[in-house]
Amino acid sequence: MTKDRFVRHADPILGEEVLVARAASGMPVRVVPTARFRDVCAVVSVGYGSTDLGFAVDGGSVHRSPEGVAHFLEHKLFEDQDLHVFERFGKRGARVNAMTGFGRTTYYFQAGTAFEANLEDLLRLVSRAHLTPENVDKERGIIAQELRMYEDSPVYRGFFGLLGALYAEHPVRHPVGGTVESIADIDVEELLACFGAFYRSGNMALAVAGPVEPDRVLELADAAAIPTGAAPERFCPDDLGRPMERRVSVSMEVARPRFLLGYKDRQLVADPEVRLRRDLATRVCMDLILGAGSDAREEAQRSGAFDDSMTGSYLGEARFGTAALVCETEDAPRVEAVLRELLERPLDVREADLERIRRRQLGSLVRSFDSVQSLAFGQAEEALLGIAPFGQLARMQALSIDDVEARRAELFDAESSATCQVG
Amino acid sequence: MTQSVFAGFRHVEVGGVPLLFAADARFKTARLVVEFRRPLTALDAASRAVLPGLLLLGTEVHPDRPSLARRMDELHGAVVVPGTTKVGETHVLRLVLDAVAGGFLPGAPDQLGDGSELLAEILTRPRLVAGAFPPDRFDRERRQLQDAIRAERDDPGRYAMSEALRRACAGEPMEVPEHGGADAVAGLDAGMPAVALQDFLVRGEALLCACGAFEEAELLAAVERFVHALPERAPVRCPEPVQISRRAARAETDDLSLRQSKLVQVHRFEGDAQPDEWLARNLMVGMLGGSPSSRLFREVRERLSLAYYASASVDRHKGLMHVQVGLERKAAAAAREQIALQIDALRAGRFDDAELDIARARLVEGILGVDDAAASRCRFAMGQWALGIDRDPRAAVEACARVGRTEIVAAAESLWLDFDYLLAGTEGGEA
Repeated sequence: MTKDRFVRHADPILGEEVLVARAASGMPVRVVPTARFRDVCAVVSVGYGSTDLGFAVDGGSVHRSPEGVAHFLEHKLFEDQDLHVFERFGKRGARVNAMTGFGRTTYYFQAGTAFEANLEDLLRLVSRAHLTPENVDKERGIIAQELRMYEDSPVYRGFFGLLGALYAEHPVRHPVGGTVESIADIDVEELLACFGAFYRSGNMALAVAGPVEPDRVLELADAAAIPTGAAPERFCPDDLGRPMERRVSVSMEVARPRFLLGYKDRQLVADPEVRLRRDLATRVCMDLILGAGSDAREEAQRSGAFDDSMTGSYLGEARFGTAALVCETEDAPRVEAVLRELLERPLDVREADLERIRRRQLGSLVRSFDSVQSLAFGQAEEALLGIAPFGQLARMQALSIDDVEARRAELFDAESSATCQVG
Repeated sequence: MTQSVFAGFRHVEVGGVPLLFAADARFKTARLVVEFRRPLTALDAASRAVLPGLLLLGTEVHPDRPSLARRMDELHGAVVVPGTTKVGETHVLRLVLDAVAGGFLPGAPDQLGDGSELLAEILTRPRLVAGAFPPDRFDRERRQLQDAIRAERDDPGRYAMSEALRRACAGEPMEVPEHGGADAVAGLDAGMPAVALQDFLVRGEALLCACGAFEEAELLAAVERFVHALPERAPVRCPEPVQISRRAARAETDDLSLRQSKLVQVHRFEGDAQPDEWLARNLMVGMLGGSPSSRLFREVRERLSLAYYASASVDRHKGLMHVQVGLERKAAAAAREQIALQIDALRAGRFDDAELDIARARLVEGILGVDDAAASRCRFAMGQWALGIDRDPRAAVEACARVGRTEIVAAAESLWLDFDYLLAGTEGGEA
């Protein structure tokens, strides 16, 4: 019965296929059948993260959450009076975990046996919330310890210092787990309100990679008691203006000071496919300028401007986009001057440079099929975004130097930047 | 060429260097790992620690880092990663080639051949001037290493662990940090890293390991070319790790401006043990602190809310167990008490079979899961080789099934606390 519901996407060169369907609840389901492997990895991705602090369900009034609720909820879903989650997965030798980001909460398991029982438990985990004032209070202490651990990291403190400078209102400025103070306001009612709003079939996706029978995956997804409904309406300030502050500093005792330079996107892109193309152009741009193959980077390092600790990253989501460069340095003004010179001037690259990056990307795509975890996570994200499988190569082939340069000029604008020093 | 089987891999000697390999058509990549092992000494550790960075700064053919990186891009993102690692009381220089198999790429290029050639080039033909790395490159790498050593304190978890090990193992080779320490790095001169490289290549215990999508003949041809590029070798066997008799536990505390304190305990296993006894030790440590189902997680974190993390792990090569806890300073005494109580309970056999079953299931899954990646298959085979245990994953799982309560109790009884280190936070309202 379920077989007809799958749409098959195949790549003849890779010899791989991705099966796409929807469960009875409406939740997108993807299966990558890889009979050659022993392990199965299953991922449930929920379109709910730390930036979802304002929402309204079914046209109701706007609900405002304290910072850190999505992460708190992730912790609590691992507890149920009937379902001793870690023990149940543990008896089967399965590894189970979850993570919360700015726009996602992701739950997964990986195991070589008892696939059906593990998947049933994973789906049950995200289908209900067992919350009591006592177990919420107990978790608050554990989360406070987790947050204190992060607060000892100069890069973590610097990153959120930087986001706080770039954004005046957008909730991306707050740490994903909130603060010891903000989680003090989280109670059972708040957690239930957020669970009810976001843990819905229209805001979740399931992806499974491994030696599985696709029909069985769909049957188990059909049987899961995932609450049905669409994603709630989100209320999040655009915050597309200039950075709130241009220079901030974080005072903490460190052995080596850190310097961070950040740039914010000043335009939002709603269409996920267009956003993926923009993300790709951004990453290629940063690679060309700051990757190991860049003569400009090598020259900067040779001159002592910065060292191997310099790394760059880009976070692109529907409601914000930020590039951040971070390094250890005792001479922040010099690093800033060199980085701005590299990023804020027109690119000096040739088609051959883009071609070698295309080759690397092709290698990276092929490589991803050697890991069930990589496949399951990738497909869960694409399913949540509604992106068809196997689009990466076409995106890369379509990318031109002009696209990359246009993206550089758009993002790496001094007027959209801020810096943060830690030390 | 005489072939045998070791730990599920084919074993041949190529020019006197052992090669373990497993052609595995399930994968779309091919991996070749080269390892040279020498004893860990303070004198040499610093020279060795700058090597990975220097090797990536250029070769005779690709004279600088960008040209090397671009060559890897041309090979469809093939990567050659050099690194040095402290393994017990040995120092290992390891280079890993990870390349997508040519059959999945346009034109079916010889990825393994070209990649292994690049690996050999990086290892045996670095850019030298008068037999030494160029002074400007040496200065750059030494400065980077010195900065990295200073920055270690900014990662409190890692810092606490390295301090605990250094102090617990004072007077043993194990006390030497992987990089030799700040003073040793400061004392380096430009000629020393090239000498250290030659020492690895000539006197190091060498091992090659390959797994992935390749034909046997193709691999053997690539490995023969690689071995041919090595200097004439006179390998020297590394000594066994130093073992210490039971002694009274020692404790030290350092204060640091931290929001979360770190407690690290270094326990030792008494005497030498057979491979099956080590499996029991692994299972016992798994029951104590190896997973979210373990005693430390359940008691220290979940029931008493003393810490965000509390775990235990084994260093098989030195014969240690580490316990790591991230907690408030004022909770350290209670956490210590719980750790001791839980170890005592295991010694006394106060555990139910379900606990052992969970630890066993987790260990078995970990061993069998090795099969799913070329990297983990290589890691497993090379680990077995280093320990001298010719056992494939299936055999290891069968041995695991034979471990019962008696063996767990014996494993716990062989454990003794040697050192307790608290990196105590002075911030965050902690007493």
